Amino acid sequence: MTETISVEQFREYAARVESEVGKVIVGQNEIVRHVLVGILSGGHVLLEGVPGLGKTMLIRTLGQALDLKFSRIQFTPDLMPSDILGTEILSDENGHREFRFREGPLFANLVLADEINRATPKTQSALLEAMQESSVTIAQQTHHLEEPFFVLATQNPLEMEGTYPLPEAQLDRFLFKVNVNLPEVADMVEILERTTGKETPAAGRAISGADLLQMRTLARAVPLASHVKEYIAKLVLATHPEHSTATPLVKKYVRYGSSPRGGQALVLGSKVTALLAGRYNVAFEDIHSVAPAAFRHRLLLNFDGLAEGVSTDAVIAELLKEMPH
Amino acid sequence: MNNLNDLMGPLQSWTFWLRLRRAWTWGLRGLTLGAGLALLMGGTLLWNARLLRAEFLVLTGGMLLLGTSIAALTAALWPVSVSWAARHFDGVFGLGERVSTALELSQSKTDYPANLVALQRADAIRMAQNVNPRGRMPLKLPRLETLVTLILLAALALTWFRGGQWFAASQQTRNVQQAVKEETQNIEELIAQIEQNNSLTEEQKQSLTEPLQQAVQELNQNPSLENSVAVLTNSGEKLQSLSDAQTQQMQQGLQNAGQKLAEQNGSPLQSVGQQLAQGDIVSAASELKNIDVSKLSQAEQGQLADQLNQMAQSLGASDPQLSQQLQQAAQALQSGDQAAAQQALQNAAQALAQSGQQAAYSQTAQQAAAQLGQGASQVVAAGGSQQGNSQQAGTQPGQGQGQTPGQGQGQGQTPGQGQGQGSSGSGSGDGQASPGGEAGTSPIPQNAPSDGGQTTYEPIYAPSLLGGQGGPNVNLPGSGDNSGDVIGQGPTTPGNPGASLVPYNEVYSQYDQINQQAMQNTSIPFQFITIIQSYFNLIRP
Repeated sequence: MTETISVEQFREYAARVESEVGKVIVGQNEIVRHVLVGILSGGHVLLEGVPGLGKTMLIRTLGQALDLKFSRIQFTPDLMPSDILGTEILSDENGHREFRFREGPLFANLVLADEINRATPKTQSALLEAMQESSVTIAQQTHHLEEPFFVLATQNPLEMEGTYPLPEAQLDRFLFKVNVNLPEVADMVEILERTTGKETPAAGRAISGADLLQMRTLARAVPLASHVKEYIAKLVLATHPEHSTATPLVKKYVRYGSSPRGGQALVLGSKVTALLAGRYNVAFEDIHSVAPAAFRHRLLLNFDGLAEGVSTDAVIAELLKEMPH
Repeated sequence: MNNLNDLMGPLQSWTFWLRLRRAWTWGLRGLTLGAGLALLMGGTLLWNARLLRAEFLVLTGGMLLLGTSIAALTAALWPVSVSWAARHFDGVFGLGERVSTALELSQSKTDYPANLVALQRADAIRMAQNVNPRGRMPLKLPRLETLVTLILLAALALTWFRGGQWFAASQQTRNVQQAVKEETQNIEELIAQIEQNNSLTEEQKQSLTEPLQQAVQELNQNPSLENSVAVLTNSGEKLQSLSDAQTQQMQQGLQNAGQKLAEQNGSPLQSVGQQLAQGDIVSAASELKNIDVSKLSQAEQGQLADQLNQMAQSLGASDPQLSQQLQQAAQALQSGDQAAAQQALQNAAQALAQSGQQAAYSQTAQQAAAQLGQGASQVVAAGGSQQGNSQQAGTQPGQGQGQTPGQGQGQGQTPGQGQGQGSSGSGSGDGQASPGGEAGTSPIPQNAPSDGGQTTYEPIYAPSLLGGQGGPNVNLPGSGDNSGDVIGQGPTTPGNPGASLVPYNEVYSQYDQINQQAMQNTSIPFQFITIIQSYFNLIRP
């Protein structure tokens, strides 16, 4: 496999996307970068934050910048799986009646699953096959989704009322989980200024879907040294409290560690990060950069961790600090 | 096209610098370890007084040198693989795993696109060439380790410059050990001599060698100054108790009688007298036994009877039994009973042989006691010596009784520096600075304070031989010839009799009596008892 774009083009495309998104989104550069890394890694990204922080805006802006077929699904408790996937309808064409599949909003390149944890688990699970296999099976017929396909979901913190925690299997299918926090004062001022003026800024088209696929291809080709791979494997294993290399915090507060998908997320995310940093190989710093987003939703805290309010980010930070290269 | 050599060049250069830096760092740690070990070992040995100054220097220098060199060399030569070095330098120089990845990609077949691999290698080479290893890995001394090293070195220097007392104590211990070793060898030789002495019976040999063997054993077990002197003193006293003063008198009497007989040429007892004069009593007994009365003429028998009578009379006080046997033989000869005379001579010879054995036993015990006493003195002298063997000779003269355990009043500040003041007042000596100093510095009576001038005195040296030339060597501390130590001054020029005008043979018995009383009533060190006794025996008129 050969890349069809150069590393310089890769960086240029990425910079272009970030620039276009930056026209709308203020002060969330790191979040934008993580989401972009997730997209370029070919994964799905879950954004978590309280309402009003611009999660939906960010994803919608990304959709504009990437010039992809964008679809937004507002998850509500009464949302049914068929509302997402599509359904068979009876069509009458020239007197010939037959069931025809009508694609749901999931059939897009970029799907915004807004407030995904407000839907019931049944509806949430409807996304499983699509997110993993990029296909949907309805009435014993599999419908492949068009590439690129990725889901960018937002959710409110679980302690908010009217939410349904995502099942572990669903969470594991998200490459990254990105926390959206309150902006700084200067950013907040800028947000207020932009959103209350005469004109609302809009992002322009930065790259196409084809460009995005080429970028993904190039990212996957980035060399990864064996000892770096070993480090990633050790990191994943060290998230399991029963493992000998587990850190004290992991042993104390973690119930289940990361699945191998966490390692895949680290590898792919690190490769993209390396390219974005102008490097042709993965470094430890790339791994450290994406590790929180890759592990955050894959570490399940035990009762003590939950009771003491321990954050998975703290556990991951200790893990990265203690684990030797 | 960049190749692997462009990457290996900097990598090798960095590795060399890494080795140098490791040697630097570990050399310091080795120095610290060496200093610590030297301090520990040196301190332990000094605490036990077993390390001389020179040995401390060798130990310290050796440990520092060994510690530093071994640590530095080991660190410098420690195996460093290329892949490990690449990963290490990636981390140290912040190269983002470029070098290690490039190295791995070039050394193994991968599925990565060739152009991307080439780009990665070029990127790694470019970054590697911009690295300044000396700037990123400077040769620095860790502050804490340097401080610890300096403290240890200061402690070693302090020990060297201020540890004079410890080194002196060690020197003293070493001298004592050497002296004890020599004395042990002397005792073993003495034991061998006793074993080979045909004049002694097996029982006598056993009684003589037993305390000596015990002394050797105890000296080997604990060669300390105190124990060695105690062992030698006790053993000497045991041996001294085995000797008999009466036996000595008897021996002396036999010797005198023998001299008189030896002077009578052609007499039957001339050969017996010669043997007695030489002190060989057992041979004399054998000669006496071999006299065949029947072969003697009448005149010779009469002469023999007279000589036996004379001999009996001279031995009447010292050996009554032998005297009686001799008298019986003389009477038998005078009565013409040859058989009875022959039998009496046989009995006298047997009694003489027994006396000879007893005399040899007593003499050997006395000599052994004297040797042990001398050994004790040498051990004491070695223990009192501060400056080592080179000055050991200087410590002996003038010591007199002052350094004998229990006799002197030590005022020493450091071992070997004390001034022993003899209780007998025979002299005082400075154990360190005045070898052979003028111990007898009391003014000569003729030089009265009112004289108003100075008299030229002739120096008097400590004698080395008693009884003049040919006499026994007494090895008195401070003894020697004219090149030895001056122990006093006096007008002893020929023709000047001095103050003593009474012939000594007139006062000898009085002096000897006083001497005997003094030896019985006062605690004179036993090693000097034999010397004093020998002196009086030799000057006996």
